[in-house]
Amino acid sequence: MDSKQIEQLLEKYWNCETSLEEEQQLRAHFRGEVPESMKEVANLFRYFEVQQKQQVNHSEFDAVVKMKIKQHRPDGKVIKLFYNYGRIAAGLAVVIAATYFVRQEVRKAYPTEIADTYSDPRLALEETKKALLMISKSFNKAQKEASRIKVFNEAEEKIQGKSLDEPKDQTTKI
Amino acid sequence: MNLETFEIRVLPTKNKLFRFAFRLLGSSEEAKDVVQEVLIKVWNGREQMAEIQNMEAWCMRITKNLSLDRLRSRQRRATDPIEQGMEIKNETLTPHERTENHENMERITEMIAALPEKQRQVIHLRDVEGYSYNEICEILELDMNQVKVSLFRARNAVKEKFLKINAYGL
Repeated sequence: MDSKQIEQLLEKYWNCETSLEEEQQLRAHFRGEVPESMKEVANLFRYFEVQQKQQVNHSEFDAVVKMKIKQHRPDGKVIKLFYNYGRIAAGLAVVIAATYFVRQEVRKAYPTEIADTYSDPRLALEETKKALLMISKSFNKAQKEASRIKVFNEAEEKIQGKSLDEPKDQTTKI
Repeated sequence: MNLETFEIRVLPTKNKLFRFAFRLLGSSEEAKDVVQEVLIKVWNGREQMAEIQNMEAWCMRITKNLSLDRLRSRQRRATDPIEQGMEIKNETLTPHERTENHENMERITEMIAALPEKQRQVIHLRDVEGYSYNEICEILELDMNQVKVSLFRARNAVKEKFLKINAYGL
């Protein structure tokens, strides 16, 4: 690359228009001998390159990290598993206990009335008929009583009729 | 992720992570602590990170966040212990290179250390590590425009310094 190309490339570099490849070209170029005017820029690119070689200055670094990782692994997992299953188990325990107590309360409040009282089907039929008859009897009675409501209806109609007639009467009187 | 993939995919990024943390913190001891913390964090969170495509960028991002947390908790400038940084950097050079470069390198380190935080991060990721703009966006959680503007400002600040040096023959 001649100096003109380099200058153009540098101009592009300062304007942030260079690609990564072009920046590598610049780096490569400035590794070699450069004229005095380019010394400072060359130093900059050399500086970048030197910086990129810097490493963690600790020979045991990997070993330390791996050791710490291994220490971390087992209890991390155990705690997590316990935590998840523990939550599910606790939830189930609460639900089961609650249903048990509620059932007990309900049983206490409503003792079982319905139970098989008859072993003979015919007897059962008789008893059922009796029960149904009783219901229908009281139903009839209630109907009879209800028919009395008609009296109120009639009375109401009469009142309405009268109240409609009344104003007429008044006007005739006057 | 098992230990083997961790060793292949995550552990080799340690030097990049270290350099980035060092650039932000200015102390190699602290940078080392941060990198260790990052690696352990990645390992412990490996279940959630299964779907992450660019593991390296992800690690760099965690490094950035942890380093900045440290900086904030200390409330001090990252530019203080430059001497310490030079020491480490020069370990990779021959004695000859060391004497020749020492002054220049120190000056550039100071220049970059004097840049605002964001510009320092961007110029490091681009010019030292050679990340693409997209990767830098991902690492720094910035959009493309912010990254390009920061890089432009950082490079121009450096260029201005060079012009001054040339003009006054420093």
